[in-house]
This record gives sequence, structure tokens and C-alpha cells, in this order.
Amino acid sequence: MRIAFAGNPNSGKTTMYNALTGRSEKVGNWGGVTVGMKEYPIKAEYTGGTEAIAVDLPGAYSMSPFTPEEGITSEYVRDEHPDAIVNIVDATNLSRSLFFTTQLLELGIPVVVALNKDDINEKEGTKIDEKALSQKLNCPVIKTTAIEQKGLKDVIAAAVELNGKNQKAPYLQADIDLHDKNAVDAEDRKRFDYVNGLVKDVEVRAVKSSETTKSDKVDAILTNPIIGIIIFAAVMFGVFWVSQTWLGPLVADWLVGYIEMFQEWVASQLEATPLLSTIIADGIVGGVGAVVGFLPLVMIMYFLIALLEDCGYMARVSAVMDPIFKRVGLSGKSVIPIIIGTGCGVPAIMACRTIRDERERRATAMLTTFIPCGAKIPVIALFAGAFFNGAAWVSTISYFLGLALIFLGALLVKAVTGYKYRKSFFIMEFPKYKAPSLGFAFKSMMERAKAYIVKAATIILICNLVVQLMQTYNWQFQVVEEGMENTSILATIASPFAFLLIPLGFGAWQLAAAAITGFIAKENVVGTLAVCYGLTSFIDTEELALTGGANQVAAAMGLTTVSALAYLFFNLYTPPCFAAIGSMNSEMKSRGWLWSAIGLQLCTGYSVAFLVNQFGTLFTTGSFAPGFIPGLIAIALMVLVVVLISRKIRAHFDEEYSLHQAAKASKA
Amino acid sequence: MTINTVIAVIALVLIVFFAIRYIWKEKKRGTKCIGCPVAGNCHDYEGCGTSRTPHKRVEKMTFGE
Repeated sequence: MRIAFAGNPNSGKTTMYNALTGRSEKVGNWGGVTVGMKEYPIKAEYTGGTEAIAVDLPGAYSMSPFTPEEGITSEYVRDEHPDAIVNIVDATNLSRSLFFTTQLLELGIPVVVALNKDDINEKEGTKIDEKALSQKLNCPVIKTTAIEQKGLKDVIAAAVELNGKNQKAPYLQADIDLHDKNAVDAEDRKRFDYVNGLVKDVEVRAVKSSETTKSDKVDAILTNPIIGIIIFAAVMFGVFWVSQTWLGPLVADWLVGYIEMFQEWVASQLEATPLLSTIIADGIVGGVGAVVGFLPLVMIMYFLIALLEDCGYMARVSAVMDPIFKRVGLSGKSVIPIIIGTGCGVPAIMACRTIRDERERRATAMLTTFIPCGAKIPVIALFAGAFFNGAAWVSTISYFLGLALIFLGALLVKAVTGYKYRKSFFIMEFPKYKAPSLGFAFKSMMERAKAYIVKAATIILICNLVVQLMQTYNWQFQVVEEGMENTSILATIASPFAFLLIPLGFGAWQLAAAAITGFIAKENVVGTLAVCYGLTSFIDTEELALTGGANQVAAAMGLTTVSALAYLFFNLYTPPCFAAIGSMNSEMKSRGWLWSAIGLQLCTGYSVAFLVNQFGTLFTTGSFAPGFIPGLIAIALMVLVVVLISRKIRAHFDEEYSLHQAAKASKA
Repeated sequence: MTINTVIAVIALVLIVFFAIRYIWKEKKRGTKCIGCPVAGNCHDYEGCGTSRTPHKRVEKMTFGE
């Protein structure tokens, strides 16, 4: 049998699904984490031997979908006829949740109501008479705490028992004209009245919703438009300081030491065959090792972010960002993809489908990858460690500059598309404050670590091998001799791109090659630099910093401190990896928007790097860096292209919406 | 050719083979970002058939995994 798990966003559906199936799908304490449908057999211990499949559906407030992911839920329960529906109800907010419940009960499919988050109700002294509620709804009502796996067996047993039976609806919608908005609104109000009456009969609250609690007072500070942003900046600075300046490097020293020892051992074993030694010791072990060396920094950062998420802070950050996002023409819901984007750009772009308005959805998908993802952390950490003494401000600036670019990009998209400010509503429930679970944070950290290692051992490894081979051989497939590195396959491919990067301060083919391989996976930037420059020989394992300071590194890499920062920003804000670009394509469903997104990201990365390099050099040396005029011309051309696109869109906009012209055209 | 070289060549071939095989398998399964811990959330609601033909997908599943 097939059991669908449906309910409001953030009611605990995926937590219950994970507990019943043994899966570990992403959960969060805000709505909109699940945007697709998932299905998996339920463990036999819960079904008592009956074969049952759990179908986890995205959260929905009603059967009338407002967003694509809500559409998945209503479409599934209405058209696919599951054998039973487990309606997960947030017991802490009964009146809001039961609206959807009464709609599900009308479908005729047997429903079991799981009154979830019962533990919170117990703490707050809220009592719900589940027997009375069960009688009123004509279906089993069972109290559950999905996070502690309480009551789940009873829920599944009830669902199995109801298989093949019909559901009698306690409330039936009147036969109205569904095209008549007023009639639909009036019918919805009647349903709300019915639900409120139900709740009044079955629920007793110790704390009234209207009372101001301690939590409300803390919320007032954390979500204050000014203080909230200052606190957020301070918190993120703390996260980066711990993960990338203090504790992270401390653990990384130990790991890098072992990687280096292993690399030296491999090289010594292959002394007789220098070519093989170069490919394996320098290419694979050196390249992959350089990426893996940053694993502790990544793990610690995600551990801290998971703690912030679990205690309920990140949901408050969304509220702080909401008004700014709306002002620049994005949706309040754009916050969710951006927070998810600190982990990986692909699910972040997918999360954009929770945004109802098409233009806002596409704009968010276009801009969300400006927030550095986990794959970019090694790049940030390498440059912060090498050129800025591991300063935490490099990471903090990278993230906040990413945010600023999202705002500026959104304003640009708004101007180009001729979009006017639209009042939209973003409703986000704040999870209760709680002491963060170390177990949850540890699990989240280990998932990230596993992902990082898998990526390093597959994509990064193959890329580094290819890069090493391309650097070792020339086009005649002869080994490149020392001093003739510029004739290698890699050098000849990367050199034309390097020429374009001269105004940005990094015209070396090695740096261009690293930036190009970064489009496969951003960790490749570190791996390729390690292969091209033998970077591990520069790393001091004691301090996880490059030996000899910036000058020596500058001599090897052809970078100054300013151009190093420009190179870092170029890699952070140019288009993301191909996987993320593929996701943008599937979410935007428009070639025009996709190419505009890629163009915008290329222009942004180029412009930011150009400005940092030229004005940084002017500030430090008193004159502009080489290539100022050509770079300026390139940026002027970019601006011209944006203006032309904008004009074209606006002209098309007028053609499409001007009734006068349409009438003229029809007459002609 | 020394024994070390032979072992190194075999190790290199095996590592590359298994890495490529893993990437191939993941791409065949429809994973968009290899290694991503939340890749399970990345269903294409109109393309890959998760929402359109759920029954067909589930029929292929085996119980007791």
C-alpha cells in the first residue's frame, strides 16, 4: 500500500518520513525545505509485515496550490489516489493546520491525523483532546513526536487498518462556482469558522497566543532591521573566525602533515619513474590532498551553521532580510535558497520553486549562487591563509559581498525588466528557541564531510589527473621539458583566457586554467593551483599558511596581495559549476534567462575583480595596475550590452501590453 | 620495471576506474551534484517523472532495503 504524508510546511513530515524509512533526507526548522516528492518503503517494524511505501510530499496550506511545490502535493493526493493519507498536523498551531485537514478529508481517501510536536505542547501546557477531535473529524487522531519517534507505530498501524476503506468527510464544501473569487473566499471563511469552532472545543491553552513571551522579546531584538543585521554580521564573523582562523587550521595542520608525509612517501617509492611520480604524487595525491587539507575548516563551519539553524536563529535571519529582498524586487522567500546556497548551489536553485512569482523565482535562481557555497570554502581559506594571515574578515567579506551583489543584481534585473515594486507577503513561522542538538550538528557536519570526500575522490581526482597530464604533455604528446612549460597542452589552452584577465591582475595561464577547471567543481581551483605550482611545497603545515609570505608566493604565482583578492573574488562571483548551471536551466525554463544569468555572473565576477585590482593597486602603489584602459573598455561594453537588452525587453513589453498598438495591428 | 611501478600503475588504473564508474552511476541515477548531501531534494518536478509517474518508479523498488 501507498501512504502519503501531507501537511502544512514545517509540520515535521520529512522528520517522520526519515524515522519510518531510515532515510536521511534534508530537514529544517523552517517551511520549504522539501520541494520535491520522495518515496521509500516503510521499515517492517512499523508496518507489522504489510508492504507499505511512504510518500513524503512538500508542505501545503491548502489544496489550492500557490507555488509549484504545493501543486505537487495537491496533484498527488487528488490524482494518484494513495491508499491512505497521514496528515501531519502541527499540534502547536492547530487552527491553521486543520484547514488543510478538512480539505483532505473530503477526498474520500482514508486519513490518519498525526498531532505532531506533542512534546512542545506538553512543555507549554497546551492540552488537546485527541479523542474528541477524532470523533469530530471521523478519522483516527494520534499524538506524535516525530523527532523522538513517539507514536509513529500507532500512526502506521491505523493507516494500514484503514486500507481499502472510505473516508467520511466532517465538512463538505458547498457546490459553488469555483471561478467566482468572492464565492471561493466566502466558502474558505466558512471553513475557517468551522475549524475555529473545532479547535475551541478540543484545545485548552495555558499560554494565550496574544501574550508577550520571553521569546517574543528576543525576537524583537534579533529581527530588528538594524540591530538584527549587526548581530547577523557579528555571528557570521564568529563562525568564520572559529572555523577558518582558530579551530579549523588547528585541526587542518595535523591532517595536512599526514597528507604531505604520504605524498613524499609515494614520490620516494616512484623515484625510478619520474613521469609516474609526477602524475601520482603531484597530480593525484598533491591535487586531491590540497583540497582534502581544507576538510576540517569545512566541517567546523557546517557544524556551527547547523547549531545556528537548530537553535532557531537562522529563521530569524530570514525575517531580517525579508524587507530588503522585497525592496530590491525579490521575494521574501528568496532568503531560503540563499541560506541553502551556503551549502550547495544546486539545492539552493531548486529551492527557488517555492517562490510563486515567475520573475522573482528566475531572478533568485540567477543570483543565489553569489553566496559562496561549500565548494568555495577551500578557495577562500587558501587565499585567506596565504595572503592575509588566515584573517576571518576575508570570509566574512566574501559572504557579505555576495549578499550585496545579490541585492545589486536584483536591482539590475528589476531595472532591465521594467519591473515595478509589488507588495508581496512572506509568512514564515519562527521555530521555538531551543538548545541546539549537538547530535544534529554532528550529523549535518558528517554528511558534509562525506560529500566533500566523495567529490574529492571522484570529480576532483579525475580533473587533477587530466590537468596534470595536460600540463605534462605538449600537443605532440611528448613530455614537456623543464623551462618549456608554456608549450604544454594546458598552457596553450589557458593562455588566450589569461590574456583577457590581465586587467584583473592575474594574467598567468596557470591561474586561468585553475579558474576554468573551477567550472567543473569549484574545489578544482585549489587542486589545479596545487598541480600547476606544486603548491603543497609552499604550505607550512604548522600554520597552514604559505611559507615565505606573500612576496615569495607572488613571485611563484605572479600575484600581489591585491590581485590575489581580485582572483579570489573572480572565482567566487563568476558562474558556478556546471551542475548548478544545469539546475538554473531546469528551474528557469527559459534560454533567454539562462544566458542572461551566465552573462550577468561573468560580468559581475570580471567587474568586481577589475575594481578590486585597479583601485586596490591605485591605493597601495599610487598608480593603476596594467590593463586599466582595456579593462575599462571591456566593462563599458558590458554596460552597453545590458542597456541594449533592457531596451529590447522594454520595447517587447510595450508591444505586448499596449492595447492601442494591438488594436492597430489587428486592423492592419 | 620495478615492483613499485607495477603496483603504482595498477593502483592508478583502479582508482581512476572506480572514480569514473562512480560518476557514471551517479549521473545515470540523475544526481545533479555528485556528493551533495541534499541531492535527494533535487527532483525535477516536470522533467524526471517523480511527480508524473510515481507508481512506475516505485514498482521497481525492492522491499526490506
